[in-house]
This record gives sequence, structure tokens and C-alpha cells, in this order.
Amino acid sequence: MAAVDPVYLALQRFRRHRYDECIQLCTELLVQNPYDQAVWYLKCRALTMLHWVDDTDFEEEGVADMLLDENATAALPRPGTSLSRPQTSTAIGAPGQGMRPLSASGRPLSGYARPGTGSARSGSRGGVEGAMQGARAGTARPVTALGRLVRLGTASMLSEAGGAFINVDRLDLRKYAARPALARALFDYILYHDHNPRKALELASLATVQTNYEDWWWKERLGKCYYMLGLFREAEKQFASSIKSQPMVVAHLQLAKVALRLDQPNKALELYQQGCEKFPSDTSLMLGIARVYEAINDPVKSVAQFKKVLGVDASNVEAIASLAAHHFYTDQPELALRFYRRLLQMGVSNPELWCNLGLCCFYASQYDMALSCLDKALTLASDDAMADVWYNVGQVAIGIGDLGLAYQAFKIAISVDSNHAESYGNLGVLELRKGNIDAARASFRTVQNLAPHLFEPFFNGALLAYKLGDFQESFDLASKALEIFPEHHDSIELLKLLRNHFTLL
Amino acid sequence: MGGQPKKGGVALREKLNWLIHMQYVRQDYEVCLKTIEAHLKECRGLSEYPLYVKAMIKRQRGEIVESLQLFQAATCLNPHNTANLKQVGRSLYLLGRHKAALDVYEEALKLGSEDWEVWHSKGLCNFHLKQYDAAIECFKRANLVQRHDSTYMQLGKVYTLQEQYRTAIEVYTEALEFSPENPELLTTVGLLYLRLGENYKAFEFLGNSLTHDPKNAKTILATGSIIQDHSDMDVALVKYRIAAVQTPNSAQLWNNIGMCFFGKQRFVAAIACLKRALYLDPFEWIISYNLGLVHLNTGQYASAFHYFSTSINLKPDFPSSYMYLAITLSRLDDFENACSAYDKAIEMDEDHLFELNYAITLFNHDEVQKAAKHFAEFQKLFSRLDDEAKKADPEVSEQRDALEKALKAAIDAPEVS
Repeated sequence: MAAVDPVYLALQRFRRHRYDECIQLCTELLVQNPYDQAVWYLKCRALTMLHWVDDTDFEEEGVADMLLDENATAALPRPGTSLSRPQTSTAIGAPGQGMRPLSASGRPLSGYARPGTGSARSGSRGGVEGAMQGARAGTARPVTALGRLVRLGTASMLSEAGGAFINVDRLDLRKYAARPALARALFDYILYHDHNPRKALELASLATVQTNYEDWWWKERLGKCYYMLGLFREAEKQFASSIKSQPMVVAHLQLAKVALRLDQPNKALELYQQGCEKFPSDTSLMLGIARVYEAINDPVKSVAQFKKVLGVDASNVEAIASLAAHHFYTDQPELALRFYRRLLQMGVSNPELWCNLGLCCFYASQYDMALSCLDKALTLASDDAMADVWYNVGQVAIGIGDLGLAYQAFKIAISVDSNHAESYGNLGVLELRKGNIDAARASFRTVQNLAPHLFEPFFNGALLAYKLGDFQESFDLASKALEIFPEHHDSIELLKLLRNHFTLL
Repeated sequence: MGGQPKKGGVALREKLNWLIHMQYVRQDYEVCLKTIEAHLKECRGLSEYPLYVKAMIKRQRGEIVESLQLFQAATCLNPHNTANLKQVGRSLYLLGRHKAALDVYEEALKLGSEDWEVWHSKGLCNFHLKQYDAAIECFKRANLVQRHDSTYMQLGKVYTLQEQYRTAIEVYTEALEFSPENPELLTTVGLLYLRLGENYKAFEFLGNSLTHDPKNAKTILATGSIIQDHSDMDVALVKYRIAAVQTPNSAQLWNNIGMCFFGKQRFVAAIACLKRALYLDPFEWIISYNLGLVHLNTGQYASAFHYFSTSINLKPDFPSSYMYLAITLSRLDDFENACSAYDKAIEMDEDHLFELNYAITLFNHDEVQKAAKHFAEFQKLFSRLDDEAKKADPEVSEQRDALEKALKAAIDAPEVS
């Protein structure tokens, strides 16, 4: 080993994704010869790769973005044109709200947890309260800053002994801009490692000028910087111009992402479609389309798109999981089971999957399998999924009529995650069956506070209040239930009864 | 409210009453509220009628607490007006403060003459306080003063709650004489007859109700179930189709649809419908019971067992579940537990089917003596039935004859061999 050229060794380590070792080696080499450009370049790349994130994915919106969202074009968008009000678009042939539960953002629960699907979008409801609640399991805190992009350099500064590797402020960016290869490495370093979009922007604009405004790569990076700085319109321009000089999948994805961020789902769809025409077998663009359809509550089209994705890439986890969820909620647990089994064969093994498998087995009447799957889920589950698994154990227990076990399971779910709204709701129903009216009422009230996106607790509370003769509370709660689920027949009926009571002389 | 002597300031306060009244009656609530606000400001809130109307509007918008305060203010201005007092009482009642409401009504009774509304409301309060006898008394008084549909409805409801169905039906029929075209009353009577097992009468009333209100989901469901009982599945399905548009998430509806398909021997459709029903309402024991039946018919005994055991867990006092559980268990070759399930069913209720099935199971497991005993029991119970019931299920007599023959052969055979 001693004979191997250390630079070559570092390069090999870089290729094998052993970045830490590569960086260590490079540091040693740089101490010997600080002006070795090859080693410098390599270390720069290694550091960047260590902090790389796929920024074509949608990110979780932070509290500040949610509260101070100035990008939405209309406060009351027309049906089907906004992500913040998915329920306004009516889908035909889709399972209704009574069959498929909603996520906090007011759209049907998706089969695959992506950033942004769980949280309540700004304006959908709640305002400050809604934004502060946070939708991640296991913590009551919301995402504070721009999700993955932690504040300027805080995370990276710590890990490096002897200060930062490159002190960007001291560099003469003009000089670097003239050297294309080095400039690109430096840019990625500044953007992904230092999280300093302003400086990166400076470099990128200098480099674009150098290349006569013709290099798609630099334009795309410029767009990225603008996006990070929150200048979405500028970003949009850069991405579009990048596509004009050279159509690339990344640029299409980024452009659509900007459109989504500006709450223009239909435009995003159009962009994805354009991308698909140029790159007909790229799954990420197709997935993008499917996601948008799902987000604007058009499950039929989204399912068709997911199927298309599977035709190209037969082991796409997201597509399989989404299709499985769709089949599950349209009364075909056996089909869903096959999709989940496929996931299992692909090597995915997490508590959520086992839990879903268990539920599918249960609804397909394979009881022995159901319990062992849930068991497996319980052994695998950490705190953030434990509550959900116990909740589902409770569901199964209700299904086989073992109400004692169900009660215990819901209690455990709550003890693990004290904000588990669904468990409180079911606990309330069980208490009601036992005749503990006050406990039931308290449970319903808890859920109403915890999960204002569910209509069941409101309706249950309304019904209970009506039976107890408290018509005012009943009226308020029933109206809220209808706000969430306007077609809920029982709530409408209840409200009609109450109106009758009120108008009676 | 007009017609009072006009003297100075007092007349001023009432000068806009006519306008407010017009706007209120036209349901121009926004305009009406504006007029009231302006007028109240003018006379510094000391005007009775505007306050009263404002409170009424507030109540119709569901803001009961505010409306109560306004009514109380109106009462302060004119404590001798029973209308105000009645409204205060009603507000209290709507807020669920029944005791306070009762006190207010007492007050109103002291002030005014006989008024059906006061008595009716008192009855309602008593009803919610679970003082049923007092409630019945109040409703009867109210009917003496003046007859009203709503009083009859409430009276019937109290009787139904006390399980005096006959009396309840009497009350409702009396009400029907008074207003024969009230679909709600008709449906309620129909449902009561259905509960008492008088299907023919029930059907008559329900059909009557449907002619007046053809889209009432509850009535359709009840009618459909009667039609279904007479094995006219297609007609029932047509009825359910109307109801399904309005209540797509009703577990009972899906349950009945499922059983329709079961009756038509379309088991897959039946199971799909029943499973949807179970998904929508997992606490309904009858859905589990029906699912068990369907699975028993399709020969999936393990699933059937699970559904029957669920059904029993949810409702332990329905003897037929135990019998079907026993049949399932015997098909699963668990003879011992099957026997104890039969014993349990027989212990709970006397039914010729229990005995017959028990006898068959016993016979199949070579317990001829015991089988004969239970068969004798069956014969005894079966002979007590009237002719119509005997002919209701041809399978019963078929099985009886088969078992009789087999038993005879079995009892004779060992002696021969």
C-alpha cells in the first residue's frame, strides 16, 4: 500500500463515496503542498458531496415561509388551481373523505411520505396556530428555518478543525470565474457546503458572463441561487433560459418546483409535460406529474401516472407505495397487499411498511398474517412510528370485536405520542360506548384542538352535545365538521335538525 | 306590538317596530339588523321589540348565548310579557340548562293564561332531565290546550324510550288523524310497527310516507328491508340505489345492499358491500354477523368463525350468533366447542333451529343418543309453530325428514349388527 500515490488513493476513495477518508488524506497532502490544485479540487468536491442534497425534491416549508407567504397569487383561488385548497377540486371516481382520511393539509393521505405532504400549507387553515403546530411525528415543533438548508455554515464550521477549508470572502471570484472546471467545484462548495447563496450568486453571474450567457449549467445554478434567496421570479427566468440553451431534466424539475412554490400547480403540470415530451422515459418528471395530481386531489389521474412510472421503472418505491395506498382505500386490500409485498421483496423494511402489510392482511381476512405483521412493525418501530402502529393495532382489535385490547392499544399510542389525534378520537368513541360521557367529551375536545383537519371528532362532539341537549355547542361543532367535509350527510342532517330547533317559535 | 297609547318618549321607541317586523318577516336579516342597530342607538338600548327581533335573528344564526342576553334585556324592559319569558326559557333550553329553563317556564305560567308552548317546552326540559313521567304529564297538558305535531312526536318518543311501544303507536296514530300527511310521523309509526314485527302495517305506513317524501333515506332503508324480507331483492336494490346517492357512507345501507346480493347468491358482491359497511362502522355487530353468514355459505369457515366471534364480542346477547358459531366450529372439526356454543344458544333462547342443528351436529359425530334427545326437543318446538312459520323455510322440513330417517336407521342398526 505504501507505494500507491496518495493523490490516486484519495481519488479512489472519493469514487467509492468514502468522503471522510478522502478529505483526511487531502488535508494531509495540502499541508505538505498548499498549492496542489488537483488535491484542492478533490477536497473541495469531497466536502461538497458530503453535504449534498437533492434539491430537485420539494422541501418542507418553514414557519416563516408559511406565515409570510407572499407568493400565492390569489387569496381565494378558483377551484382546482391551488395547492392550498385541494378540496375545492372535485374528483370523480375517487374515494370520498368518508373512506380515505385526510392529512393535515386537507388532501387525502398520500401513500408515500414526501416533504411537504404532511404539513398544513399556508392559508389552508389555522394561520399562526396551524403553522406552529408542526406535522412531523414525534415532535411538536415545526420546521423552523428552510428545512435542510441550515443557517449559513453553522453545521459545517464545527466539523472542521483549523477553521474553514476555503474562506470564500477572501477569494477573488473574478479570477476563479475564468477557470471553468475549478469555478464549478468552487460554486458547488459555496452553495452546498457553506450555504451562502449570495456569494455563490456572485460567482455564477461572473461565470455566466465569461461563457457569453450560453452555458446551461451556470444558468441553472444561477436559478438555484435565486430560489434559495427567495427570488422566485428571477429563478424562473434563469431556469427557463437554461432550458432554452440546453434542455435538461434537472432544469425542468427546478422550473416546475418554482411554479409549485408559487402555488401554480397547473403551470407545474404543463412544465412537467413539456419535460416529458423531451425526455419520454424519465421517471422523475413523471413522478412530478403524479405528485401534482395527488396534491390537487385528482387521484384518478395521479394513479394513472404512477402506473406509467412503474412501466418504465418497475421498482420505483414511491409509485408502488402510492398505488398500494390507492388500492387499499378503494376496497381492494388484496391488490394493495401485492404491491406492499413487492416493496418487501425489494428490500424495504420499515415499521410503516409492516404496519400497512398488517392492515392489508387484516382487511383481506388473513388474520394470522395480520397479527404477525403488526408484531414485526412493533419490534421495528422507533418512537415516531410507534404511536401509529399501536393505533392500527387498536383498529384491528376493534375489527375483531376485542374492545378491551383496542382501548389498551389506543392508550399506549397516546402514551408514546401525546399528540396522536386519531387515537384520542377512537378512545373517545370507546369511552362513549362504555357510557363515560364526560371522558368521551374531553377526548373529542382534545382531538378537535390537535387535529382540526379531521371531521369525525367535530361530528362526534356535535352529536354528543345534541344528545345532551346543548344545542349551541352542537351547532358550532356541526358547522365546523361541514366546513371540513361539506358533503357529510350526517352533519347536514344534524344541522337541519338544529336549525329546526332554532327557528321554532 | 302596536296599539299602545302614544305619549311622548314611549311612542318614539316603538315608531320603527312596523319596519323591523316587515324586514324580519321578509328574512332580510342584514337590513333588519342595521335598522335595529340604528334604532337601538337612538333610544339607548331601551326598546323592547328591536331587542326581541335581534335576539331571534341571532338565534337563527346559531349564536344562542348572545340571543339569551338580548332576550334577558328585553325581559328586564318588560317583565310581564310572556313572549319574552318564553324565549328566555327556550334559549336556556337550547344551551342545555334545563333546570334554569324550567324555572323560567314556571314563572311564565304564573304570568299568563294556558299556553301549549310553555307546557310543551316544559315537557322537553323534563325529557332531557330524564324525568319522563313529568314530561308525559306536561306534553298531555300541552295537547289539551292545543294539538300540535311536535308535541305528539315528543310524547311518542318518551313512550318509545320507556319501551311502551303500543302506547307510542297510539299517540302517533292520534297525531296522524290530526295531520295525516306528515311524512316524519308516518315513518316513525312505520318503524315502530317494524320493531314490533308487524311488517305489513309497517310497510303500509312507510309506503305512505314515501309518497309524501320520496327521498328520505331512513324511510327508504326501512322500506327496502321489508321488501328484502319478502325476497324481492331487485326491487329492494332499486330502492337502495335512490338512498345511496344521498348517503353514500351509511353503513346500514351498505349492509342491506350486501344482504340483497347475498339473497341473489352473488357472494363476492355481497362480501364487498358488507366489508365496506364494516369499514364504515366497525361497531355494528349485525354487519359482522352477516359477513359470518356469507362466509359460512361460501365455505370459508375460518373467516366465518372470526366474524361470528366479533359479532358475539360486540353483542353477547343474540342467541342466533352462537348457533352459527357452533355450526362453523363443527365444520372446523372443533366438536367440543361447537357443543358448548349450542348449549349456550339453547340456554339463552328456545328455538327449534338451535335444536335441529345441534341434533345434526351430534349425529354427524356419532352421538346418536344425544342427537335423538335434541331432535325430540326440536319436534316439540316445531309442532308448536303455526302453519305459516312451518312452511317458511322448506329446508327445515327437508333436514328434519333426512335426520329422522338417519336417526331411525342409526338407532336400529346397532341392535341389528
